[in-house]
Amino acid sequence: MSSIMWVEKYRPRTVAEVIGNEEAKASFIDWLRKKSRKRAVLLYGPAGVGKTALVHAAANDFKYKVIEMNASDTRTEEAMMKIAGPATSLTSLEKFSLGIKGSLLLLDEVDGVFGREDRGGVSAIMRIVQESRVPVVLTANDPDIERLRPLRRACRLIRLRGVRIPLIVAFLQKICLVENVAAEEEALEMIAQNSQGDVRSAVNDIQTLCEGKRTLRREDAQRIFVRNKGFNVYETLRGMFSAGSAAEAYKVLDGSLMDYDTLLLTIHDNLPLRYRDPEKLATAYDVLSKADVFRGRVGTENWQLLSYVLELLTQSTTIAPKEYQPFNFIFPPTKLTLLKWTRSERTLLEKICAAIGSRCHVSRRFANSEFIPFLKIILGRESEQAAQMAAWLGLDKESIDYLRGKDQQIGADEDEGIE
Amino acid sequence: MSHSEAVMWAEKYRPKTLEEVVNLKDVIESLKAFLKNPATMPHLLFAGMPGTGKTTVALCIAQQLLGPGWRNFTLELNASDERGINMVRERVKDFSRYSKGAFADIPYAIIILDESDQMTPEAQTALRRIMETSSRTCRFILICNYSSKIIEPIQSRCAIFRFSALRGEDMVKHLKYIAEKERLELPDDAAKTIVEFSEGDLRRAINILQTSAVYGGERTIDEGTVFRVVGQAHPKQVQVMLNKALNGNFLEARNTLYDLMTTYGLSGTDIIRQMHRELYRLSYLSPEEKAELANVIGEYDFRLSEGANEDIQLSALLAQFTRFSKSRANLR
Repeated sequence: MSSIMWVEKYRPRTVAEVIGNEEAKASFIDWLRKKSRKRAVLLYGPAGVGKTALVHAAANDFKYKVIEMNASDTRTEEAMMKIAGPATSLTSLEKFSLGIKGSLLLLDEVDGVFGREDRGGVSAIMRIVQESRVPVVLTANDPDIERLRPLRRACRLIRLRGVRIPLIVAFLQKICLVENVAAEEEALEMIAQNSQGDVRSAVNDIQTLCEGKRTLRREDAQRIFVRNKGFNVYETLRGMFSAGSAAEAYKVLDGSLMDYDTLLLTIHDNLPLRYRDPEKLATAYDVLSKADVFRGRVGTENWQLLSYVLELLTQSTTIAPKEYQPFNFIFPPTKLTLLKWTRSERTLLEKICAAIGSRCHVSRRFANSEFIPFLKIILGRESEQAAQMAAWLGLDKESIDYLRGKDQQIGADEDEGIE
Repeated sequence: MSHSEAVMWAEKYRPKTLEEVVNLKDVIESLKAFLKNPATMPHLLFAGMPGTGKTTVALCIAQQLLGPGWRNFTLELNASDERGINMVRERVKDFSRYSKGAFADIPYAIIILDESDQMTPEAQTALRRIMETSSRTCRFILICNYSSKIIEPIQSRCAIFRFSALRGEDMVKHLKYIAEKERLELPDDAAKTIVEFSEGDLRRAINILQTSAVYGGERTIDEGTVFRVVGQAHPKQVQVMLNKALNGNFLEARNTLYDLMTTYGLSGTDIIRQMHRELYRLSYLSPEEKAELANVIGEYDFRLSEGANEDIQLSALLAQFTRFSKSRANLR
């Protein structure tokens, strides 16, 4: 296997190759083309979602020369002006031989601009933004940092979000194909989930896992990598379920990389494996259910209620601290996996319900609960009547087959009474 | 619709005029007054359980007020199908623009908004604005199960009508009428069984009747066929899930739950309603035990409406059932 970093090898060369964040991409290109209102743009979002990659790819597409500074440079005002100065003019070689249209100044990771060594850094950036004759791009992880306030007003803000998991999985599949690694989809799924939308870390992880191998299996992916920024999924779960008290579990939760909703679903999935005793399980689930109720109350705005969600979560994992036995964690959440597997089926069901709904004046949900069970029987046997009914409802062959097939399945696992 | 064509009977025998409606004498009388003098009709709010005739009456009003071209001037929306209030606003706006003033013999266009209690209070506030801005050209008929879930300002703009569940004898009469039209025999005991299973919901009663006719394939519909149809049409999975939980097998019960939600596409509310219904059919529980468990179901039904994840709430409920079965086993 080559020694080159895959992150470099698979860095996007064109905007089209940058995965995810379509809206941000469009808005960035729009700015680059027009450059009318604001001279500078601030791209912000979590690490590894493609901020810097987008700038380079776009510059490549539109023939700009990128002059870059980042947090590792010393950011005194003097140093900045020295680099930013010549950035504005091109040599004739670049202009005519390479077809370069102009320069683009990239100030990477501007939220790294604080501390004593960077004295004057922020005001220098302000000056560059205001005086530059070439477009200026700033990137940051967190645009809310107090010191960057003035920058926010001078720049157009474009937000990038964590890249969606399926896109990362597809990207990893492409890499595996090129690298000739036979990878199980589940393994890629785990890596992608663990990356939390951070493409760079996902690519790094898969390179580490594939080092010197031709296959990548689920078990391989399970030994996922401590990244010093916080606890990954497995560390979080192990920490929370084995904690001696709710307070201890809270510390783990505090340092976790998982988002709260995934964590909520994951604890739910693993709860019965942690508590074998129905008594304890019921108590734990009661607490978890309350956590979920508070999550509902938080909604999208009442974030001050989040602390109750978190406290209840930590209680649910520590009902019987002394009885902890190691077990194999379920991840990613079963519900999400199942939803993916059954997507085509649900789409079909949805279509059938919509057809019934418009014919019989009911909602799709109602059609599913009140009409589907009967239609399964009515259409169950092939007959003239059944065909007419299907035609009246506007059902195609696929839909009819679906309704017929399901009927048999229900019959199959019918009786499981209690003694 | 000819007799030879197979259609859902619930549609085929849906009344076309208010005179044909079999129940709700008081409601029908007041509504008839509006038909005589359409200008006096305010927005309407119909509240009642499924299958009591709300949508039917709304459609009758539209047909009788607007005449043969009623479909062109009636917009039927279902709040649980539309994605967000903006969609509703757009469709209502387009519709009222299109129907405005073009035809002098139409008093106004009619917008039927079904399951309007599924809308969030915020969406309802927006709806209230829409009702105001379009009231010169449109009348709204809002349909819901619970009028208490409709915000005050909307309630005060509507005439509210409550639709009570059909009486058993009215349902039997109507089922027999349909059977006669379809040239079928419906003995009393079979009719009574259908009524019993449909819990005041006429639409479900008609669906059971039609399915029994197809299933039995005979001219006479006997009680046994009805039982078999009801048994088969009832998602067995819910009962299977309950049994697993009460057998102390939580993990398997939860897998069945996942199956119901993903493969069968049932909503959490639907599942919990069916659990409630199934509970009373479990022969191995005493009435006291059923009451105790119904209490638990009620609590989780409430949490379901407040919470964020349906599967967490329903799994938590199943965990309570599993605990119940364990403590019960210890007693014996």
